[in-house]
Amino acid sequence: MDRSLPVWIFAALSLVVLMALPLGWLGWLSVSGEHGATLAHYRDVFTDVALRKALWNTVVLAFWVGLVSVALGAPLAWLTARTDVPAPGLIRGLVLASFVTPPFLGAFAWVMLAGPNAGILNTLWRSVTGFGEPLLNIFTMPGLIFIVSIYTFPYVYIMVANTLALIASDLEEAAAILGAGRLTVARTVTLPMVLPALASGFILAVLQALALFGSPAILALPAGFHTVTTQIWSLFQFPPKVEQAAAFSIPLLLATALLLQVQKRVLGRRGYAAVGGKGGQRRTIPLGRWRWPALGACLAVMACAIFLPYGVLAKAAFARAWAQPLSRDNLTLGNFTFTFFEYGATRDAIVNTLELGVMTACIGAVMVAVLSYVTNRRLVVGHQLVAFLALAPVVVPGVVLAVGLFIAYTRPPFVLYGTLWILFLAYLTKEMPVGYAQADATFRAIPADLEDAGRVLGAGRLRILREITAPLAKSGIIAAWCFIFIGVIRELSASILLFTPSTKVMSVVIFDLKEEGQFGAISVLGLVMLGLTFATVALVQAALGRDVLGTRK
Amino acid sequence: MPGVILKSLSKRYGAVGAVDGLSLEVKPGELLALLGPSGCGKTTTLRLVAGFLAPEAGEIWVGDRCLSSPASVVPPERRRMAMIFQSYALWPHMTVAQNVAYGLRFKPGLSRGDREARVREMLRVVQLAGYEGRYPGELSGGQQQRVAVARALVVEPEILLLDEPLSNLDANLREEMRFEIRRLHETFGNTTLYVTHDQGEAMVISDRIAVLKAGKVAQAGTADDLYHRPRTRFVAEFIGRTNVLDGVAVARDTVAHGNVRLRVATADLEPGARVALSIRPHQLRLGEPGDAADGANALRGTVRRAAFLGDSVDYEITVADSDLVLRAAAAPTPRFEVGAAVGLRIEPAACVPLAESDPR
Amino acid sequence: MSKRSMTLAVAVVAALLAGLVANGAAQTQDARLEAAKKEGKVVWYTSLVLPSAEKVAKLFEAAYPGVKVEVHRTGSQRILQRVMQELQANIKNVDVVHTSDAGHFVLLKEKKLLAKYTPAGVEAFPAGFKDRDGYYYGLRATVNAITYNTKAMSAAEAPKTWKDLLDPKWKGKLVTAHPGYSGVIATHVLALVHLHGWDYFKALAENRVMIVQSANDPATVVSSGERIVAVNGGDYSAYQLKKKGNPIEIVYPREGVPLVVSPTAITSFAPHPNAARLFTDFTFTRECQQVMADSEGLYTGHPEVTYPADKPKLNELKLLTVTPEELEKRNEELKKRFVEFFGA
Repeated sequence: MDRSLPVWIFAALSLVVLMALPLGWLGWLSVSGEHGATLAHYRDVFTDVALRKALWNTVVLAFWVGLVSVALGAPLAWLTARTDVPAPGLIRGLVLASFVTPPFLGAFAWVMLAGPNAGILNTLWRSVTGFGEPLLNIFTMPGLIFIVSIYTFPYVYIMVANTLALIASDLEEAAAILGAGRLTVARTVTLPMVLPALASGFILAVLQALALFGSPAILALPAGFHTVTTQIWSLFQFPPKVEQAAAFSIPLLLATALLLQVQKRVLGRRGYAAVGGKGGQRRTIPLGRWRWPALGACLAVMACAIFLPYGVLAKAAFARAWAQPLSRDNLTLGNFTFTFFEYGATRDAIVNTLELGVMTACIGAVMVAVLSYVTNRRLVVGHQLVAFLALAPVVVPGVVLAVGLFIAYTRPPFVLYGTLWILFLAYLTKEMPVGYAQADATFRAIPADLEDAGRVLGAGRLRILREITAPLAKSGIIAAWCFIFIGVIRELSASILLFTPSTKVMSVVIFDLKEEGQFGAISVLGLVMLGLTFATVALVQAALGRDVLGTRK
Repeated sequence: MPGVILKSLSKRYGAVGAVDGLSLEVKPGELLALLGPSGCGKTTTLRLVAGFLAPEAGEIWVGDRCLSSPASVVPPERRRMAMIFQSYALWPHMTVAQNVAYGLRFKPGLSRGDREARVREMLRVVQLAGYEGRYPGELSGGQQQRVAVARALVVEPEILLLDEPLSNLDANLREEMRFEIRRLHETFGNTTLYVTHDQGEAMVISDRIAVLKAGKVAQAGTADDLYHRPRTRFVAEFIGRTNVLDGVAVARDTVAHGNVRLRVATADLEPGARVALSIRPHQLRLGEPGDAADGANALRGTVRRAAFLGDSVDYEITVADSDLVLRAAAAPTPRFEVGAAVGLRIEPAACVPLAESDPR
Repeated sequence: MSKRSMTLAVAVVAALLAGLVANGAAQTQDARLEAAKKEGKVVWYTSLVLPSAEKVAKLFEAAYPGVKVEVHRTGSQRILQRVMQELQANIKNVDVVHTSDAGHFVLLKEKKLLAKYTPAGVEAFPAGFKDRDGYYYGLRATVNAITYNTKAMSAAEAPKTWKDLLDPKWKGKLVTAHPGYSGVIATHVLALVHLHGWDYFKALAENRVMIVQSANDPATVVSSGERIVAVNGGDYSAYQLKKKGNPIEIVYPREGVPLVVSPTAITSFAPHPNAARLFTDFTFTRECQQVMADSEGLYTGHPEVTYPADKPKLNELKLLTVTPEELEKRNEELKKRFVEFFGA
């Protein structure tokens, strides 16, 4: 097993460097004082009223986002996976679009839609009904919950839809023929079997809500409340209280780790695939006269996540004054010229984003390919540990990772702060799990027999890799590349702490522009970002022959 | 216990007629097997009877109730039937007892104690006493299958439907379960429709067999009927092995194929008409050439191939002065070597004219 | 020699000498331009509102082709945070620092992070625009004013004084920027604390004021109609919006308007020192300062700059001033108490 040693060392070292170093510094700094180890920072953090309020706000936000995501995702999954609702492919495509939309862009768009005074929906409401009070106020906790939920529910959707795909129709038919009506079947057979997926999806949604920075920064701050992520960010204002930021990050990290453990156990223990003999055909449940109303309900949800926000972004990109109607003299290309030609930071940011995206995706794809191949074929001792480490970064919220990286790399021996490298490290670490999961699935689907057949005939391992494995794994690795790329270009919560004026990325520039109230430029950049994302998604679908959500057509 | 009557049922999938004007009657208390190759429409027929599919034409009657017609279909939950699926369809999140008890809660007038008692009794009947608290994931394939059977029988359905329930078991278990299912049928006497592609299974389990081809019933009857008096080439070849001769009727009771003439037991052939004969391999008696003919048909031939199968020998015999090659199944002794000359004796009753010569 | 020829001789010599001196000055100017071109660019961290900053940059690049201006615009407090963070990581990126918080420059000077440089022509500027020790100079000035949306109310209904804003009828209709982001606002808060005490802000917070970050944002919010009155903000951004035809009007309260002088300085570690000096000089020329006054609505210290007729002159307003030293000393307190009252 000598040949595997270098691979093992390489894998272990890189994972250690990526994860252990920043987290180690984070932990150390949170207890370091002027005279040695101290719990003073933790004490400061937990006795500070403002910080405690931020903690409470975050708990409330995460909990409600979880609930609403389940309320949105589960019925949509059931409708598209199990019933004869019209246009299931369209609904699934829209859910996918919601999945890849950066939540902070959605938050911007909804500020333009539901700001209590100038928001377009409120203006319409007031002109139609004559009421003075607005219908919607997005600058509230319910508003924030709403925004985060409509971009987080796809997690629940994916889990539930994939589980429903595994439940054979036989199980429901067996209940029906024994006398159970449609609702009873749903309640006694379908729902219990889907419960682990529901619980798992709830937890994933909660984790997302905990780690988000952009949406709370856009919606909560103007309303006057903080969440943990925005609070950590504001602790970096001058003079920075990095030790307190570190102490505040550790509980967030622990909560995330705990939730993930729970999720794994919930899913693992009673993961119900169909038990028994052959079968597994899935037949659709007829909805009868509820078909079109069901489609209407689905489209209404997707209108909130896709149609309305994208529409208002497009409008603001082309309008001089976004709140005014789109009349002839309100139309302009000025926002485009400003964004691309007059605002110096934009061009650099787009270049930086693309550079970082491509670099992270390429190196990340190679890394996860090697690591998952090594793990799948069990080429090294302790391959389970390698797999664990590769997936571990999902435990660390972006802003916490950024704090750790900041502490680790603003001091000798490696001062990477101020360069693109620190951003690269953050992105690589953060996107590794999603790339690894995809690469892992790819190699699982290539049975070892295919390679063994070649070896029996005399081909060496490298040749096998080149001629047999690589062509088969190609599309899956391309998909991993795309997932990493998409993740990088929309990343905000780590970038916001690690950027410097010469290393801005698109998401940071969008955030900057928000502080200037430049909605036109924001919309233009937002459309560019969405365009890049969807182009990459199309690439994935071409490579894999199925959509990103993992449900086969 | 009512019977089932299928009247000219039709169900299409796109341009394909999966069930095409199928008519059939299942007598009360009878176990009828729906037998046929894949694609013949047997599962579709079963699902039509269960109410999961609606017919495009025809009717389904159970007793004096019309349950399915193109105009309306009584939903599965109100048809008073039970079904055992190929995959068993046991609910993994419920225990064995909960699985079996499921259908009982829709029967009025049963107390909780009653239900529990019935479940226990039924589990005893299927020889799973004591397994009430287990989960399906903990059981073997055979045990899961018996839970599925218990679940279906405990509700005392008017009609019992089985969809290839044994196809996932290994060969030994399958044999054992055939007899088990037959025993249960004799105990409880439900009117039963049993879908299978395995003719041996059908012959052991059923009272009658309906052989299906291309959405229609090719022939329905007892195993004996189908074996000894097949009506078509398809049925003859599907049930057991057979030799099929194509010939011309030269007399009302004789068929000729080249130089070979064979007498049949019936005397209603139309001279000059093309007739196909079915002769079962075990009804070809082998002996020394020249053994006296006593009203039976006598032929001469040479052994081309002989395969020893333990309890029988499978011979391939070329008939003298003819292009016929017949297969015979004979006892292990006397043994005829390859190349030996043999005499074949065939009783006229063994030469069955196939009434409808359908194209191969 | 006759008296006339004596005078003539002196005149000739004087002219010759003047020509020599002028030539010498031109020589140094050319040498500096060459050096700046070799450096290629000047990195400018500025809190001047983005379109204005870009405009100044373009003017400079047009006047001195070969030297680029790299504009990095963000709020004053963020700029300071950037500079300190970069220094901590030993990154020497910025040449010219320009914010609206004079307290920053006291701090930076103390830490020896500024270079001593006096831009040409700045002697004529008023005292409030000059640092005694010659490290930083006021590039522009603005005042905090109240703005309101003209579509939502008439001039008579609009608030006239800072105290008017405490009226409960403005509940849910106000917007403020944040001293934690903007130096303009930090000055405003300190000035009003001098005027009315912290109780003023406590009462103001009861009106559920919307919070934005940059001092230019309140005017944007008001002209979009999202909120209809801004309780602070740089008057120059409101003026720009008004000129573009947005429905916004400015009120200069009678109690006085907080004056914000925005200093600029060259860093002691500037990687492009010659370009930095060239740029700084340019920004203090009459042409550049006039552009800032004309199209950006800013006030300047340049005595020869003329201002638009539809804007009050500095000497027509009652000005509230705060010293840079006090701004620096009380910066933490300003931010902390603001957050305490307004929540974030």
